[in-house]
Amino acid sequence: MDYKLQVGVQSHLEMGSLEDRSMQDLHDECLHSPETDARKNQTTYSNEPLPFSDGRLPAGCNNMIGHGVYRSIKTVVFSNKLNLLMPFGPLAILVHKLTAHNGWVFSLSLLGITPLAERLGYATEQLAFYTGPTIGGLLNATFGNATELIISIYALKSGMTRVVQLSLLGSILSNMLLVLGCAFFCGGLVYHRKEQVFNKATAIVNSGLLLMAVMGLLFPAVLHYTHTERQYGKSELSLSRFSSCVMLVAYAAYLVFQLKGQNDLYAPINEENLDDDDDDDDDDDDDDDEAPEISKWESGIWLVILTAWISILSDYLVDTIQGASEAWDVSIAFISVILLPIIGNAAEHASAIMFAMKDKLDISLGVAIGSSTQISMFGIPFCVVIGWIMGQEMDLNFQLFETATLFITVIVVAFFLQEGTSNYFKGLMLILAYLIVAASFFAHEDPTSANEKKQP
Amino acid sequence: MDYKVQVGVQSHLEMGPLDDRTMEDLDDECLFPSEMDAQKTQSVDPNQHISVPGSLPFNGNKMTRNGVYKSIKTVVFSNKLNLLMPFGPLAILVHKMTDSSGWVFFLSLLGITPLAERLGYATEQLAFFTGPTVGGLLNATFGNATELIISIYALKSGMKRVVQLSLLGSILSNMLLVLGCAFFCGGLVYHGKEQVFSKATAVVNSGLLLMAVMGLLFPAVLHYTHTERIVGKSELALSRFSSCVMLLAYAAYLVFQLKSQTDLYVPLGEEVNQNGENLDNNDDDEDEAPEISKWESIIWLAIMTAWISILSDYLVDTIEGASDAWDVPIAFISVILLPIIGNAAEHASAIMFAMKDKLDISLGVAIGSSTQISMFGIPFCVVIGWMMGQEMDLNFQLFETATLFITVIVVAFFLQEGTSNYFKGLMLILCYLIVAASFFVHEDPPTDDQSKQPGT
Repeated sequence: MDYKLQVGVQSHLEMGSLEDRSMQDLHDECLHSPETDARKNQTTYSNEPLPFSDGRLPAGCNNMIGHGVYRSIKTVVFSNKLNLLMPFGPLAILVHKLTAHNGWVFSLSLLGITPLAERLGYATEQLAFYTGPTIGGLLNATFGNATELIISIYALKSGMTRVVQLSLLGSILSNMLLVLGCAFFCGGLVYHRKEQVFNKATAIVNSGLLLMAVMGLLFPAVLHYTHTERQYGKSELSLSRFSSCVMLVAYAAYLVFQLKGQNDLYAPINEENLDDDDDDDDDDDDDDDEAPEISKWESGIWLVILTAWISILSDYLVDTIQGASEAWDVSIAFISVILLPIIGNAAEHASAIMFAMKDKLDISLGVAIGSSTQISMFGIPFCVVIGWIMGQEMDLNFQLFETATLFITVIVVAFFLQEGTSNYFKGLMLILAYLIVAASFFAHEDPTSANEKKQP
Repeated sequence: MDYKVQVGVQSHLEMGPLDDRTMEDLDDECLFPSEMDAQKTQSVDPNQHISVPGSLPFNGNKMTRNGVYKSIKTVVFSNKLNLLMPFGPLAILVHKMTDSSGWVFFLSLLGITPLAERLGYATEQLAFFTGPTVGGLLNATFGNATELIISIYALKSGMKRVVQLSLLGSILSNMLLVLGCAFFCGGLVYHGKEQVFSKATAVVNSGLLLMAVMGLLFPAVLHYTHTERIVGKSELALSRFSSCVMLLAYAAYLVFQLKSQTDLYVPLGEEVNQNGENLDNNDDDEDEAPEISKWESIIWLAIMTAWISILSDYLVDTIEGASDAWDVPIAFISVILLPIIGNAAEHASAIMFAMKDKLDISLGVAIGSSTQISMFGIPFCVVIGWMMGQEMDLNFQLFETATLFITVIVVAFFLQEGTSNYFKGLMLILCYLIVAASFFVHEDPPTDDQSKQPGT
């Protein structure tokens, strides 16, 4: 997707300018990659004394595998403060084996997944360097929310379709309200004298897609709720499956539409106008010369490793969600809709806020709204199709309360976005709206979740 | 209505330039009226050879037979769509001979299609003689005369649910399918740029549609929440009152439109108008000769209406039989099949205008028609039902009302930008697919009052 691709590009364009070092600390730390060596006068990360600091090391060093692996691990694993949470993953497995305390296992695996999700995004961006903008955009578009999808697929396998629906819904809501609101708010505070602007056109297209997703979700829910289906139980499922295919087609067309418009912009390197008004004029030339931090094979391997780790932790996460719900005495709905997405999305959240504070609101919007669009138009239908293949009865009927929540949220956000400007007040309103949503789910008891407690 | 008048005017303004001959073939074929003879250097329809030279005065009193012959040729033989005309009498034949409701329904539906198109043509012709004001009024009222006639017959048979569903389906198909196809085809032809249309009129129409949704929503929600003061009667009284209010709003809208139109048409040399369409051809507007005389228009109007009435009678009588024969719910036939086939001519003309970059006219055909049905057609049917003693109300049941609501919001959102591209068109078409699929699995719950009425 446009914004995701931009994120990937932007975050590496940022490596050049020294003033962005602080953001780099948190986001994409880079070691002494050859091209940027000259620009780096300070080592920002103290435990990186490499023997090859003169930058002569080629990118894909085959003859120094040992050092390559060491360097790779350093790049990927140790370069991000968030990765301090990584040990929580194995810790969760340990606790699970030792005790039966579901609450602890759940929170530990959740904390363990967070850095893995962020690193997965990082690996995807790295891989995108080697594949060119088109496939890179596709990669970002598909793997951008890989964590949520992996968790959902595990939940589907366990037959917990309600958890799938709720967690995907929660992801959309948190991205649209919380992440976007925080981004607007923090950006607005930093630039409180002027109004930040963003590209209205893309925001409106995304809002349109979100509305279409709401439409796709609304019909099965209303059909079920008014008891006007032809065959009770079966009609809704077939309608959901058909609508999911339609939504996937729409998402594919959206990708084509975006990438076609993108190609015309990336082809001439020296061209300084991009359709998103961001300021990478000087760095445009660096775009193709920018070296990714790890080689192609490394990216691929790390992608696989991280995905495997996330899958393992997701398994524990899904297995213990009920136990955690009982241990903490909060409803599964609240955990799935509010807690899971907030913590799982922490990295995206942080990056969106940072970009907003640097007046790069388009990228923040891409992270937030683009992610919502991706989940609603790709993630949810994809899960329905996967459920179809698995034989699980996952449908688009999210029950009336959740569908109504999504509907009103999409309308509110679409309305806020249509002006193309942002300020801290809009951000605050979005955050407060999210508070209301969270409170509603705290007080909401899902009638269907009770039936799922019997399933493993 | 603004656009309908424009359509009538534009389609004749198009006769001048030769490159629009292809559109003329399908839309408004003209023979050799006196003034246009010099401008026509090619005969477009082989069976247009008439023995009378171009010196025939308008009211050919002396050559009645030739006049009748010419008239028939103009009206009946000049449009490819009229090949479907024999299906009308065929339907009556089949009805008398066999008992196959499915076939009779299908044939009468096919037979009505060309008649609907010719009715629109006759209305446009008559509009020439009555001046822009009454002409606009004529177009505004008779633009959807076919749907109204079918609805009145259904009302007479007491099938108020069919009335509601067919009018709803007409609105949905115009808003999503026709508009989507127009955007899509226009966008494919002009894929290098984004097509623009008059935002102001689109927004006004969206506002009217939303008001119609409001008018429909209250009786439905009142009924559904069982919060009426007098069960059964309150809703009817409310519906009737709301209908009068909506008719008033529609009348005000007409006045508003025609008033702003007249100011533009009066000065002949003026090239400016709100749509920027008829710049050079403004002068031709007054001199443009209609193809048939005033009396011929009126007579043809009467004949077409009579024929449509006859076929509507058969259509309404056999709708249930067709539903049983084809094993699809009546809702699906009324909401999806009936409008698509009945609206075929408007559909084709909207697509053609979009491909000629005259998106305003396409919008007029599509959205204008929706507005007309929702703000005039539906309340009019309620009032007619009131006079007939039928209990037609605005409570379209929750599912249908929700469908209309979400559709209007999606379309209003798409229109507010004032631009179009093939992706927007594709999204609208896919939305229509979802709507159609929903109605395919949707069955009206059997209610007591419906099972007692004949033919329901």
